[in-house]
Amino acid sequence: MGDYKLFDKTAEFGNGFIIAFVHQSQLLYFVLFLPKMLQQSYLLFGILAVGILSQINLFILSKSMSYMDSKQGYNGFAKLFGHRNLRIIAFAGIAVILIKLCFIVLGYAEIVHQFIFPSMQPSWLFLFIMLICTYIASQGMEKTLRFGIIAFFCTFWMILLYIPYFVPPGADVLDLYPLIPAGRDEHPWKGMLMIWSSLSGPEYIILALPWINPKQKALTYLSIANGISVFLYIVLFMACLFFFGTPYLGKISYPVLNMIRYLQTPVFERIEIVMISMQMFQYVFLASFLLLSLYGAIRISACSVHKETGRKGLYGVSFFVLVCLFLIDQFFGRQGKELNGWTNLQLWSGTLTYLLIPSLLLVANIRRRRRSSH
Amino acid sequence: MRSPIFTVLLIGCICFLTGFSPFSDQNTVEEIAPVTFLAVKQGEEKGSLTVATLVPPIMNEEKQFFSTKVRLLEQGRRQFNFKYYREIRFGQLRMLFIDEQIAKTGIVNLMDTLLTDPEVSPRLFLIVFKGDFEAYTKNQMQKQKDLDYYLYRMFKHYEKENQGEIAVTNIHEFMEKTHTPYSDPYMPVFNVDKNCFSYEGTGFFSNGKLKGQTDKEQDQFFLLLSKSKFLKNVIIEPLDLSLGEVHAIVKKQVNLKDHTVVLKIQYRGRIDEYRGSKDLNSQADFYELTDEIKDYLEEGTVSLLKTFQELGVDPLEIGRQTLTPVSKSMSAEDWLTFWKSAKIKVDCSIELEPLTI
Repeated sequence: MGDYKLFDKTAEFGNGFIIAFVHQSQLLYFVLFLPKMLQQSYLLFGILAVGILSQINLFILSKSMSYMDSKQGYNGFAKLFGHRNLRIIAFAGIAVILIKLCFIVLGYAEIVHQFIFPSMQPSWLFLFIMLICTYIASQGMEKTLRFGIIAFFCTFWMILLYIPYFVPPGADVLDLYPLIPAGRDEHPWKGMLMIWSSLSGPEYIILALPWINPKQKALTYLSIANGISVFLYIVLFMACLFFFGTPYLGKISYPVLNMIRYLQTPVFERIEIVMISMQMFQYVFLASFLLLSLYGAIRISACSVHKETGRKGLYGVSFFVLVCLFLIDQFFGRQGKELNGWTNLQLWSGTLTYLLIPSLLLVANIRRRRRSSH
Repeated sequence: MRSPIFTVLLIGCICFLTGFSPFSDQNTVEEIAPVTFLAVKQGEEKGSLTVATLVPPIMNEEKQFFSTKVRLLEQGRRQFNFKYYREIRFGQLRMLFIDEQIAKTGIVNLMDTLLTDPEVSPRLFLIVFKGDFEAYTKNQMQKQKDLDYYLYRMFKHYEKENQGEIAVTNIHEFMEKTHTPYSDPYMPVFNVDKNCFSYEGTGFFSNGKLKGQTDKEQDQFFLLLSKSKFLKNVIIEPLDLSLGEVHAIVKKQVNLKDHTVVLKIQYRGRIDEYRGSKDLNSQADFYELTDEIKDYLEEGTVSLLKTFQELGVDPLEIGRQTLTPVSKSMSAEDWLTFWKSAKIKVDCSIELEPLTI
């Protein structure tokens, strides 16, 4: 076991990786029922507005990334915050990462349960997904990140499935009217928050900092990925509005997946099954990345960074996650799907991490620069 | 190095192969019967249903007609399972025949039940029937072995873009139109008795309840104005004339100030049969005939819209014309009161190719 290293670095990834990572992290579970929560067509502008805010945020992120010395990894962060503070931050990070990880796995299991295996116990699905994630994570960070590229190509084409919904007579521009909110009785804030939270995820790229080279035009690639995501959000939302219309959209669970059931091919009928299965690549990639991050965060807060990484530790962490999944499922399972307490928790935690991490990092970097220049 | 993963995989394989698996759905072909249609009828008691289907759908066996009295649709499936050695599945369900009586009392909750099942496709065809479906099926399956399949092919044929003839609809369209303001769903209505299964017209729904239907003559106008805007044949009996390949371009306008609804329709088609007394080679007679056709189409359309007003339905989605990008839209109730009392103006123009050999 001596030469077994999880966080080894042998190669540097190109910038395409940044696009793949950001794109994958922004098109996760929330997107699948975002149209249902937005419902009103004028929130198309909401998506655009939040997309621009997200762009500003990515600008801050890339700025603070360019200050960091990417080669140093843990030591870079330790210099920036101090060992003690870093341990506290990592400890807080455990909670955040754990929430996000559980959220992804639970969300995916829920979808599979609803669309593919309604008669199966969801806990089996947790087990299978965690087994796959553990396997991928045990290959080390570098291979996991490479897996992200595969996942990207497995899921990117799915947007093509939505083209038929834009063909008249099904798509009628009258479905989008009125584009200006009429009454003041609606509450778009929850929807806006949800867009922001579903756009969150790119902040986790700082955890993969040693493997990427952020100095070269990182901002350009972050922006491209963000632009693609915002575009896809708009496409999906418009497709949902065309297909269901505003009032009916509010009654559909997972409208983005549900509408795929309407497609027909001469070869096979249930395209959504193929689509959901392919999406597993994306969910598994992010879950294994987060699993490794969780393992790293636990090591930092336990002050065992300089010890060798071992499989046993990683297996322990994934077992811990599995137990968490069962507990969360037990606890929140009865509250109904979609916007229950658990989803709200992720809604807020995603919002806060995306809002705070880039700015905090920037502030810390600027303070350190000032200190060193004095 | 790889031993733990290998062990897990091995155990997994052993579990699956020995039948210990988390899947409780078994899809062995010999053990299931994926039925293609359900016929739902009002039961004798209030709130009860009679559900019927034909099994087996594919196997080379004697067909059997099953019918059972239940309160819930899913209960029907269970009752069938009790009587039959195969398990009934809805994975291939293609058609839902709804009795007129039950359609009048409201069917949205039935649709909800079917849509909840992930196996049931949202393209499930909906059909209203009048008469004795059981007698028809029992009689017909003697002569025609794959009766249910051919019925499905018929709807599939007319569903395809621009086929006309029958206004086919599916469960998704029905639900979307039921929920969307200013738009009401419709379904084809069939008359069923022991010997025949024949198309009668289109039935119109509002709030999930059947309100009324067109007759065959009116149905032509509806088909020309609805989704496909095309008919292979328009029969004009009073003029002894048939128009072929008729396309319609429809412009709808709602004038809230004048309280009028204006429909401008441009028809294009050709005369493909004429048994009247006019000489079509004479220019004057041809113009006269064109005017007569125009008047006939206008009158027919007006009478169709008047029917809609009486029934309080809007299957042509005329109310949607009131939507604008900026202003607040009127409520569905306001539209309905407006529509019921609106003045109707229909303006037709027709472009005809003469009868040529």
